[in-house]
Amino acid sequence: MSRESAARRFAVAAAALSAAAAALVGLALLAGASPLDAVRALAEGAAGSPAALGETLARATALVLTAVGASLAFRAGVLNIGLEGQFLAGAVAAAAVGPLLAGSPLAARAGLLAAAALAGALWVMPAAYLEARRGVPEVLSTILLNLVAAAGVSGLVRGALQDPGGDYPQSRALPDAVRLAPLAAGGRVTAAILIALALALFATLLLEWTPFGLKLRATGLAPAAARAIGLPRARLRLLAFAASGALAGLAGGLEVLAVTGRLYDPFTAGVGYTGIAAALLGGSHPLAAAVSAVLFAALGTGSSAMQRDTGVPGALATIVPGVLVLAVLAARARLARKAA
Amino acid sequence: MFPGEIHALLGENGAGKSTLVSIAAGRLVADSGEILRGGSQASYRNARDARHAGLVLVPQHDLLIGAASVADNLAFLDPAAPFFESAAARRARVGRLAQAFGLELGDADARADALPVGTRQRIEIAGALAGDPDVLILDEPTAVLSPDETAALFASLRKRADAGAAVVLITHRLAEVFAGADRLTLLARGRSVKTCRVSETTPQEIGGLLLTNTEGEKNFLEGVWGARPLDSRADTPGGRSQTHPSEHAAQSAATQPLPSLVLTGFAPDEARAVRAERISLSLLPGEILVLLAIDGNGADTIARAIAGLERFSGRVEVGGVPLPLSGDPLAFRAAGGAFVPADRREEGLVAALSLSENLALPNPPGSVFLDRPAMRAHAEERLRAFGVRYASPAALAGSLSGGNQQKTVLARELAHRPGVLVAVHPTRGLDLASAAAVRSRILDACRSGTAALAVTADPDEAQLFGAPLRVVYRGRLSAALEPTTPPAALGRLMAGLEG
Repeated sequence: MSRESAARRFAVAAAALSAAAAALVGLALLAGASPLDAVRALAEGAAGSPAALGETLARATALVLTAVGASLAFRAGVLNIGLEGQFLAGAVAAAAVGPLLAGSPLAARAGLLAAAALAGALWVMPAAYLEARRGVPEVLSTILLNLVAAAGVSGLVRGALQDPGGDYPQSRALPDAVRLAPLAAGGRVTAAILIALALALFATLLLEWTPFGLKLRATGLAPAAARAIGLPRARLRLLAFAASGALAGLAGGLEVLAVTGRLYDPFTAGVGYTGIAAALLGGSHPLAAAVSAVLFAALGTGSSAMQRDTGVPGALATIVPGVLVLAVLAARARLARKAA
Repeated sequence: MFPGEIHALLGENGAGKSTLVSIAAGRLVADSGEILRGGSQASYRNARDARHAGLVLVPQHDLLIGAASVADNLAFLDPAAPFFESAAARRARVGRLAQAFGLELGDADARADALPVGTRQRIEIAGALAGDPDVLILDEPTAVLSPDETAALFASLRKRADAGAAVVLITHRLAEVFAGADRLTLLARGRSVKTCRVSETTPQEIGGLLLTNTEGEKNFLEGVWGARPLDSRADTPGGRSQTHPSEHAAQSAATQPLPSLVLTGFAPDEARAVRAERISLSLLPGEILVLLAIDGNGADTIARAIAGLERFSGRVEVGGVPLPLSGDPLAFRAAGGAFVPADRREEGLVAALSLSENLALPNPPGSVFLDRPAMRAHAEERLRAFGVRYASPAALAGSLSGGNQQKTVLARELAHRPGVLVAVHPTRGLDLASAAAVRSRILDACRSGTAALAVTADPDEAQLFGAPLRVVYRGRLSAALEPTTPPAALGRLMAGLEG
């Protein structure tokens, strides 16, 4: 996937955009609104004002990180579908250690994010172990760990982590001094988006430009050849598992640190799954996946405005990513068959 | 192509033979031109359409369903199979086809992916013949067959041709062409160079044409080819005219007595294949041993277990270092081992990576970032040294023809002067010139101290190494044989009729 020709990329993009446009126009017509008005409302709601753009970028942060995490795993041939659970593990760790961390805000933030990344990486380890030792497909084990994580969050915010000062199923709030301040007053976007984009760039450099990345890609593309050639397949896969889990965990930690300030239930509306969709749309290319993630976030913020202004259902934000990914996968599969 | 004839398609690796027949059988789409059949245009959208129209292709690499049994695969290949068919009937088909075509098809209940390449190819051939196709195309069917099976296959093909079918046969073995085909076409670089009746030409003429049309490799080949007669079934003085590698070994043995490869009571733990008997042998630096066996007799498993790809019992030492019993390709390579697998597409190369990336594995250069200029230079040097025909080092490995892929694998494996080279079918599917080039590269490596264990199913090939041979039959090794042992005698040993 890394070496798609320009013509091929264009064909795939054309297929994806036509499918997304068809979904948008169809929904607008169903709702009895003008498709043009709907598009205008969508665009303005997503990026029409500094506040709208800020909201889009705030939402994009976690998506970018899970999309990059999914890309790293997929390129190494590791089908980590459990980014949702690893995201929750990171958020739990952040909510658990956040209120305990003393010292300078900078050190507290670093400690909190390290704990979150570590928790995400640890949450994927049972799946990595079961795959390596027992041959359990990681698609199944990671997705099941998502359910465990969701149930865990639900229990923790009503138990060990519940805020003693209230009856709500939520954890204690982080001290304001520790929380990330918005980049612009009144908005929700923080430096977290910069961390996420920097990591997307870093992941691209790692995959495409380093000896380690080449080994990782070789393992993902041809596991049997990688083994016969003498690549440390088991170690490479373990690292890919851990890196994608850590990125998803970091996304959970940043969500607590920058957006919510605490853990509650339910904490995610599928950021792990949408991250996978963004990775697929971006061909498991970390930068392209990050762009897709920002696009999906924009759809999310824009569709709320669109529903308010034109009455076109906001469910568009969930329908379009699904349609986009299906169109891209179908177009790629067709081109791959022609090339074979 | 006429009904009732066997037409041989010849040409060096990359000449376009496989591409041509894939287009004919609907597997690939033609860029231009048309295909006529029975006077009308015939282009099939896919292999299934072609099969239903009575045109069947047996590809170079079989397309069996790995997770299905032999019986099920043959049922899928049989267009006359009823929609519902009992397991007993499917099993019975295996025995019937094995009998009818004289091919050893293995256990009817074995999973196809557990079978060696040769058995899989025989299943594919039996499946193709079973449908009584009007046009039958076989892409290098004899590369994996024993001499007896080759004879049986030609008898079956002749029977099909006599029944009015047209048979196209791709092969690199001139002897087969002149023994079994009616007409031949020679391809070079995608063009048809010569088409004639086999009775109107000679092996010498065709062999000469094959060589003159491989310009790039010509100079390099003169030294390798010069003395060797074209029909390698004749006595091969060429094989002896080169320095015998074990002479080198004898010289260096005094100064460097440590063997490169030692097997002690060694046997692969392979439940699914033939269980090899415990083997003890040792190879000195520069020594070559050729294991000759029909696929399915355990020779390839022995090689894979040494290379760390299968578990084994007993003891394997490479360069004095014992290897772990659980099988560890990294330990094998760290001890100085190199491995050329039988299945170059699955295990030899990463098809979706470029040539320069493939040649840089498993240890790409660069401390922090990849040193791409170094990778490119290394790739160009290796590819040129092995006469690989390629467009650019950035071309995908999967875009090369089979023979060029094989040369690329050898270029990588011999890059770091390995102490031990284990090569399974190193020249399978290569044209005469490329095969000679690959052999001479292996012999070169041995002259500079590499010990080599080569596995082959081709008696002629085995002799051309000019090294001691051991025939493997159902996991048992014969005594060491002289490289000059007549092919007929080797064939009897391989078939288990002697020894």
